Amino acid sequence: MKNFELVEPATIDEAVALLDPDDAGVRAIAGGTALMLMMKARLFEPVRLVSLRRVNGALRGVRENAGGGLTVGAMTTLTELERSPKIAAALPVMSRALHTLSNVRIRNVATLGGHLAHGDPHMDLPPILLTLGARVRAVSRRGERWIDIADLFVGYYQVAVARDELITEIDVPAQPAGVHTWYAKFAALSADDWPSVGVAVWYRTDGERIAEARVAVSAATEMPLRLAGAERALVGNAPTPQTFAAAADVAAEAIEPVADIRGTAAYKREMVRVHTRRALAQALHTGRAAR
Amino acid sequence: MTDATRTIRFTLNGRAVTARIAVYETLVEVLQREFALLGARESCAQGLCGCCTVLVDGTAVSGCLYLAAFADGAELVTVEGLPKDGVLHPVQQAFVDKGAFQCGFCTPGMVLMTKELLEQHPHPTEDQIRHYLSGNLCRCASYPEIVQAVKLAADKVHI
Ligand SMILES: Cc1cc2nc3c(=O)[nH]c(=O)nc-3n(C[C@H](O)[C@H](O)[C@H](O)COP(=O)(O)OP(=O)(O)OC[C@H]3O[C@@H](n4cnc5c(N)ncnc54)[C@H](O)[C@@H]3O)c2cc1C
Ligand code: FES
Ligand code: FES
Repeated sequence: MKNFELVEPATIDEAVALLDPDDAGVRAIAGGTALMLMMKARLFEPVRLVSLRRVNGALRGVRENAGGGLTVGAMTTLTELERSPKIAAALPVMSRALHTLSNVRIRNVATLGGHLAHGDPHMDLPPILLTLGARVRAVSRRGERWIDIADLFVGYYQVAVARDELITEIDVPAQPAGVHTWYAKFAALSADDWPSVGVAVWYRTDGERIAEARVAVSAATEMPLRLAGAERALVGNAPTPQTFAAAADVAAEAIEPVADIRGTAAYKREMVRVHTRRALAQALHTGRAAR
Repeated sequence: MTDATRTIRFTLNGRAVTARIAVYETLVEVLQREFALLGARESCAQGLCGCCTVLVDGTAVSGCLYLAAFADGAELVTVEGLPKDGVLHPVQQAFVDKGAFQCGFCTPGMVLMTKELLEQHPHPTEDQIRHYLSGNLCRCASYPEIVQAVKLAADKVHI
């Protein structure tokens, strides 16, 4: 690797002052698991890295927010999330997914902020957070703003966070009672591999019918995204195997799959079909996130 | 450019040390060059295999993806730091007793991950063992013996 400047500011203000809207070689570094891979492969040659590890205190931890949901500091590690009793109680779908996200050593170091800012389409938490309706707080010298997670992913390795912005926290709203959630991770190589296909589902039943539904896919597509057609195929119908199969067909046909070493486009389309159906069925039995 | 090299201070296997490093160096590189510690070694170089495992402030990290600069102020333990007064750590002894290696290249990482596993789950099920160690690869495929060794270690170690 080439030389670069490594700075370790102590506050968020100092950190954003060290970012540079005009220089793609200046970036934040959190756990560094994604950046180090890119740097070793010379896909990224930094001019300056702004480490957030000494700002840890202000950016770390899981707390309940005013709306009854949870707020997670951007520097919270994936292991901390995996072991958080608050996450397990309110968002079991996330705890489960964290358990098979990469391996222990990566989870010990990788952070939620880095996970989201990286914009890699092959990740496990983005589709889940899309269905949970999360939002992300971004801070810069220009001020702060909340980015709806639905607006965060804008393309292949592209996110709506500007070069001079930092993600400081992630808000997940309180989930309505009676919500069913599930994340189906299909790994084509080993159990804890990156997903070949990831499907997150979320739906609320009212009496016999599905009243509201969210379906999001990742790893098979250019970026993690919600599938409005599949969601419409669910709403108003009873949560039966027939409904689930019909919605899964819509999901599979709606996507433009991107081939990679974990599957051809045609294979990924079929895996989206299978895992959307399975996720919807699993959610009905076990995926309660009622609070 | 500013900041080409810097001096970091940390505790290494119980000893306070300093090292002169370049900011782009990884933890494995510095442990090998500055301290001649070869237990953490790079194999896959991308976080997948666990051969480069180092405990930083008590948690296992992949030394191949960890900037050495981030070790400043931390407490590091490598496999070389496990024996006490010439006596192997119980996890190490369990690996010997069960013959849980062939070439031994993966063993330091396996041993350190097992140490962390037993701190998290003192009486792990076979499932927990396999899951926890799923990010540690053994090219010689000594997996059955490794699982046996972890079970033996769990019976002996009380952390
Ligand atoms: C071996 C391996 C296996 C993996 N397997 C999986 C898997 O199965 N599933 C999965 O989902 N993921 C997987 N990953 C990816 C992993 O989840 C990411 O590498 C990790 O979450 C990135 O977090 P980080 O803190 O290390 O980010 P960093 O590497 O520090 O940063 C990543 C990017 O985010 C930016 N950034 C970081 N923090 C902020 C912030 N607060 N504000 C603004 N920008 C920021 C950086 O500038 C950089 O561009 C794997 C990674 C490895 C190395
Ligand atoms: S060499 Fe670091 S995990 Fe394989
Ligand atoms: S003993 Fe040879 S790699 Fe594990």
